[in-house]
Amino acid sequence: MADFAGAFAASHGPLIVREWESIPSNDKQRLEKAFKELGRRVTAARLDVLIAVSPDHWANFFLDNYPAVCIGVGETNEGPPEPWMKAYPHRNLAGHAAFAMHVAEEALRQGFEPSISHRLKLDHGTCIPLWRMELPKMPALVPMLVNSIEPPMPSLARCLEWGKLLRKAIESFPGSLRVGILATGGLSHSIGEKTMGAIHEEFDRETIRLFGSSEQDLIRYLGKELPSRGNGSEEVRNWLVAHGAAGGRGFELVDYLPVPAVIVGCGFASWR
Amino acid sequence: MFFDLQNPALAAEFKANRDSVVARYSLSSEVRSAIRENNVPFLAERTNAYLLRYYFFATGMKDAEFARRLRGG
Repeated sequence: MADFAGAFAASHGPLIVREWESIPSNDKQRLEKAFKELGRRVTAARLDVLIAVSPDHWANFFLDNYPAVCIGVGETNEGPPEPWMKAYPHRNLAGHAAFAMHVAEEALRQGFEPSISHRLKLDHGTCIPLWRMELPKMPALVPMLVNSIEPPMPSLARCLEWGKLLRKAIESFPGSLRVGILATGGLSHSIGEKTMGAIHEEFDRETIRLFGSSEQDLIRYLGKELPSRGNGSEEVRNWLVAHGAAGGRGFELVDYLPVPAVIVGCGFASWR
Repeated sequence: MFFDLQNPALAAEFKANRDSVVARYSLSSEVRSAIRENNVPFLAERTNAYLLRYYFFATGMKDAEFARRLRGG
C-alpha cells in the first residue's frame, strides 16, 4: 500500500519568473524563503510521487475540448512550453504511469470521470513552484489539471471530494510508494480583466484562517466571495484538493504576502 | 489565433507581419480592426482573460500597459 506523505501549496504567478529581478528585495527574499521552506518540507517527506494539482493555462487544451479535470498518466511529462520558462532546467519530467492509471481507475470506480492524457505539457502553473523550491531530487510527477480558468468550473465541494478520492487512491495502490500532493495557484489575483493587478489581502487572510476551520465554513465563504475577488483566485480549487486529501486537517501556513510586483497574493502552505 | 500564437515561431511571424497571420483565420472585420488597433477592451469582451494576456504579451505589450488599456485608459 502506498502512503500519503504530505500536501503542500504554493502560488505560481508568471511574474515570479518574468519579473523576478524587479521584485522589491524584501518581497523577493520572503518569496525565496517561502519556496525554499516548502522545498525543504517536500524533500523531508521523501516522496516517490508528487501529484501536481494545477490549472492548464492553455498549454494543452483549448475551447474545443477543455476538461474539468485531467489526469496525466504518461511515463513522461513535457516541460513548460512558455518561451519565458526556457531557463527551467527540465524539458521532460518523469511521470508514474502505473500509479496515475490507478488514480484514474479508482476515480471512475468512485463515480468521478476525469479526462486522461498520456502526454501533458506542464506549464508554469506546475513548474514555477517546482523550480523555485529547488528540490534536490524530483519525484515522479502525476499531473492533475483542474479547470479554474474558463467557466464553468468544477464546484468547490467537488474539488474537496477530489482530494478525498486522491487519498483513497493513494492508500489503495498496491505498491510501496510515498505520495504527496502539491497544489499550485492562488491566492487572490486578477488577470486580463478590468481589475487586473488587484490583490484582496483581507480575502486571502480570511481564506487562510478558514483552512484551519471547518470545510463547510471554508466552502461557504469561498462560494460567496470568489466571484468578486479576481479570476485568478479561482485557483484556490487546487488548495481544496490538497485540503481534502489531508482530511480537512493540519493546515499550516508557511507564509503569505501580497506582492504587487507579481500581482498575486502569494500563499505557501503545507498540511501536517 | 490567440491560442496558436503561444507557438514562438508563429508569434515571431505575427510580430513581423501581423496582417499575413490574421488573414489565415476566419475573423469578422470588427475583430480584425480590433487586432490591428490593439483594442484591448473590445477583445477582452470576446476572449478568455488568460489567453488575452498571453496574446498581448506575445505582441510585446507590457502587463502594466495591458492593464491600463483594460481599464479603458
